[in-house]
Amino acid sequence: MYASDSLFSQVRQFFPPDLSLSYLRAEAPGVWQTVELAAGGMLFALSIGLLLALIIGARLPGWRFLYSALVALRCIPDLTLAILCVVIVGLGPGAGLLAITIYYGAAMGKVGGDLFASASRGPVESLAATGAARFTVAFYGQLPLRFKDLLTYGAYDFECAMRAAMIVGAVGAGGIGTELVGALQNLEYQRVTTLVILLVLLIAVFDKITWVIRKYPRLLLLFVPLGAYSAWDLRPQLFAFSHTLEVLHRMWPPKLSPEQIHALPGLIGETLLVAFGGTAIAMLFALPLGAAAARTLSPAWLREPVRRLLEMLRAIPEVVWGLIFVSAAIIGVQAGIAALALHSTGVLGKLYAESLENVQPGPVMSLAATGAPGIAIATFGRLPLALPPMAIQTLFRFEWNIRAAAVVGMIGAGGIGQALYNAQQLFFYDQMLAYLLVTCVLVIIVDLMNSYVRDRWKITEGRI
Amino acid sequence: MPLLDIADVVVVRSPTSSPVLNGVTLSLEPGEKVAVLGPSGAGKTTLIRAINGFVPFSSGSITVDGIPVKGLHGKPLRHLRSRIAVVSQRHDLVERLKVYQNVMAGALGRWSTLRALRFLFWPSAEELAEAEQALRRVGIAEKLRERTAEISTGEQQRVAIARALVQRPSLLLADEPIASLDPELSHQILALLCTVADEAEFALLCSLHQPEFAYKYFDRVVRIQHGIVQRLEPKSAQGVAVEI
Repeated sequence: MYASDSLFSQVRQFFPPDLSLSYLRAEAPGVWQTVELAAGGMLFALSIGLLLALIIGARLPGWRFLYSALVALRCIPDLTLAILCVVIVGLGPGAGLLAITIYYGAAMGKVGGDLFASASRGPVESLAATGAARFTVAFYGQLPLRFKDLLTYGAYDFECAMRAAMIVGAVGAGGIGTELVGALQNLEYQRVTTLVILLVLLIAVFDKITWVIRKYPRLLLLFVPLGAYSAWDLRPQLFAFSHTLEVLHRMWPPKLSPEQIHALPGLIGETLLVAFGGTAIAMLFALPLGAAAARTLSPAWLREPVRRLLEMLRAIPEVVWGLIFVSAAIIGVQAGIAALALHSTGVLGKLYAESLENVQPGPVMSLAATGAPGIAIATFGRLPLALPPMAIQTLFRFEWNIRAAAVVGMIGAGGIGQALYNAQQLFFYDQMLAYLLVTCVLVIIVDLMNSYVRDRWKITEGRI
Repeated sequence: MPLLDIADVVVVRSPTSSPVLNGVTLSLEPGEKVAVLGPSGAGKTTLIRAINGFVPFSSGSITVDGIPVKGLHGKPLRHLRSRIAVVSQRHDLVERLKVYQNVMAGALGRWSTLRALRFLFWPSAEELAEAEQALRRVGIAEKLRERTAEISTGEQQRVAIARALVQRPSLLLADEPIASLDPELSHQILALLCTVADEAEFALLCSLHQPEFAYKYFDRVVRIQHGIVQRLEPKSAQGVAVEI
């Protein structure tokens, strides 16, 4: 059809990237703002999250309520939360800062609380036996006992937050994402390419930082002054309390017109289709690519290029892929599926490769002992042994992709996300809240279905 | 000519530690059944893994049917391995596969890759019959189509022996095949190993740590300690070590 005819010319518009010095200089503040968003957001998220985790771990009064609230917050996709913050505190990086703080603070609080709750009983009880207060016990007992796991999760949380700092701009919450959307709306496609390159570079730098922090966790302390400065710099401009109250008032109660309720099943179907289609296509591509990227299966000349390809696919978030497709006039469900498929291929390909590398050596060795050729060893041994972790990874990706499908919807890829974005743009905040609640319910249902499937299949490996 | 000839084999794991095998010499005639006795850590597993080329040795020589193992790789190594079957303590079966798939994995060394792939999804009637015959020989024909993870430990050990039978080897290496089994099962498994070795006329080299089993079932018993073969003990009186 028309798409295939013009696809080449569509792609050509994006090249060559605009690398003029003046443009790069003009983008410097956007890049800096992204760094500030990540540092400031994470400082707040980690410190608030740790405090909440200690409250939950110490079983202080009200911890159950707090825990449920954190779980509920986690059901809102990050970009959806960002749009809510934009509505409440106005356009700009302040909203992004708030969204990152809330979302990743909640994540840290919940996971940290779980970690503390599973700390070994003995030392904790002996501390309690001294008559110390519960919070003191948590601080002296559970915190040191779980410090290592906490750091590991903290570094992971940090990584996710940095990625979020890139994309909150897609809904006007500041940083390089805002620049990207601006360039797309002005049809400056060569600048879009420049921004995507900058984004990938930033992610690479952030990855490196995370890697160093995992190794030397004390370096996290360096982020305290940077984070504090950033947070001050990004504080919501013209924060008007009355405006916030007014907005909250207009949101409540959530309301949809009869026609909108009628259209709801179709929207939900679209979001599910995007998530399912994106995951399924990613799975198809990730299987051969993952095998080609596995150290134990594939020769270096094939493995290294495939690894680079997977890294590139993974480095560009779904939202950015989605923005590119939407700007290339591929809109609706197709854009969503393609965006999710590209990013998820990168993620699943890497995870599949690791699973294939990490199978038990015994059975593989015993197959090699029969004199079997390499491909036979892979199909009789490695693949069946790696299937359970691969199945879990795919299920988690599907769970993640439900959120991602709602998110790419907001930038024009159809479904419930698009309806939510339209409602926000038209200031129908009561409808927006209704769509937000529908999104949460959808996420919760898929989460529950996933854990049911895992129990049913008796796949009990830990979270990946 | 002996089937297996091991002469002065030295295996060093690191330059600083003492060698795992320190000049082991041993040979097996075709069809002979030999037990290697020794405490854990004596180097029994290393010896067995050196024979089929999984552990490199720094000096000495190992030949199987006149073919030197040292320096073999690629196709010649695979060909050699296809003639040596292995049964180990941990069975090392692929638990997610069906029993018949694990049994026929013994044939992978002589099958083409294409045939191996086809068998995984569409096993032919003859192939299934071959698997069933091997399973009947080890006494569990009825488990043909079960998931390997769902059968008992003793049955899994029998599946590993059936896989070895399908391989039609000239030598079977058994690495502590009864270490995880109770005494009654141990007797059954060793008796089975020896009978099938006699019937199919392959030699059997089996590592053990219980002397009472070694003297009961094997033609010859060899003791290995601190990486050297210390005594060669003929099967004279049960439980009595006779030094040569």
